[in-house]
Amino acid sequence: MTIAVPKLDRRDFLKSGAAGAVGLVIGFYLPGSRAVAELAPVAPGASALNAWIRIASDESVTIVIDKSEMGQGIITSLSMLAAEELECDWKKIRWEFAPADKAYFNTIFGMQGTGGSMSIRASWKPMSQAGASAREMLIAAAAQKWGVDKTACRVENGAVINTVTKARASYGSLADAAAKLPVPADVPLKDPKTYKLVGKATKRLDTPIKTNGRAEFGLDVRRPGMLHAVVARCPVFGGKVASFDATKAKGMPGVKSVIQTRPGWRSSPIIRGTRWKAAARSTSSGTKARMAA
Amino acid sequence: MAVSFILNGKSQTVEVSPAMPLLWVLRDTLNLTGTKFGCGIAMCGACTVHINGEATRSCITPISAVAGKKVTTIEGLSTEHSHPVQRAWIEVDVPQCGYCQSGQIMAAAALLAKTPRPSDAEIDEGMSGNLCRCGTYLRIRQAIHEATKLRDGPGVKVFSKPTGRRNPVDEGAKVASNGLAMEITAGGVE
Repeated sequence: MTIAVPKLDRRDFLKSGAAGAVGLVIGFYLPGSRAVAELAPVAPGASALNAWIRIASDESVTIVIDKSEMGQGIITSLSMLAAEELECDWKKIRWEFAPADKAYFNTIFGMQGTGGSMSIRASWKPMSQAGASAREMLIAAAAQKWGVDKTACRVENGAVINTVTKARASYGSLADAAAKLPVPADVPLKDPKTYKLVGKATKRLDTPIKTNGRAEFGLDVRRPGMLHAVVARCPVFGGKVASFDATKAKGMPGVKSVIQTRPGWRSSPIIRGTRWKAAARSTSSGTKARMAA
Repeated sequence: MAVSFILNGKSQTVEVSPAMPLLWVLRDTLNLTGTKFGCGIAMCGACTVHINGEATRSCITPISAVAGKKVTTIEGLSTEHSHPVQRAWIEVDVPQCGYCQSGQIMAAAALLAKTPRPSDAEIDEGMSGNLCRCGTYLRIRQAIHEATKLRDGPGVKVFSKPTGRRNPVDEGAKVASNGLAMEITAGGVE
């Protein structure tokens, strides 16, 4: 079977491909302005204070990371930004990756994405506000509990303190009540001079799972019925595929299909089959979606 | 073909093609995804496992060659990061993206098993087959020295450590096969 490859200017594809991105709305989503429950499942015993912060009764604070970790340390730095404002115990910080949702749009790109050394620039404000907003909600919950004004409360290392009675309520004990309160529209951010975490060398949160094989990379993702594709490229450097014969490849055990990629690209057929067979056809390490190498 | 071997201390039998590389038996058949596919041609070291204690590229090792042998993967190196190399890796914060690190750690563990207190030059030599695109080589070297300290406990002198000198050429540098210029001078006694 020989398939002729029609010609198409690569620029045409880039144009049509880019149109989708241009059409996306750039917007700032106020933390918690949408029902957080629809964003991602929240573990039993935990309360979501906004799209990025969950606090559980065991005092663990889970930061939802909406950027891809590529080794740049974004899991740790975004967690630091939120924890700085939240005034929680850094040892209690956990993290998980965000699902795909508008709430997690990159404020510079106007779409959910990571790149261009933009993550801290794009996330500084939303992550700081997420932490500050959660902090204010916890203070409000404590004030309500004690029947005092919010001004009589301060926060310290994962707890709200009643400055008059010296009573102390941990974030874990307040999280459920705090999550039911309205999200404050405007929250004060800390003076950078008072930062305890941001600006200090901090151990990466993702090191342990990267030393025991548990970190999940794109290649490690499993889905039911999942197949694997590899690109077979034009054997001539810089060349374009004129035609290809898929007969032999289709006859190999485990190969489900051979299809042509977008016309005009310098590679052509995609072979789908088992991982081993797919890998054997290519020296490419494949795409890595979450942890990205 | 049925192949039996010892995997991470337990006997294991798989029914696969004898030509199937150990890497894919681990990842696809046994769902142990800590061992990574990098190049598939034994050039990068991401797939490094131990076979009878030897650091081995699993991507080019047919499963038939593993019959009756002891295979250790990153998942079986220790429980809860207790191996000195893993502890040192955490202490020094070695990984960046992390993709090559299972292979790096397995290579380092095998190196230390053979050379308990390697010099910088021995580390560079022993680790030269494991590539890291993030460029974590200097921390890898530091962590291997750290691992010897953690293994031996307090009070043990380490006779070789990175000197931190800026110009390795003046100190008799060599270019390691991973392309990085590395110092081979021994550091001071700690």
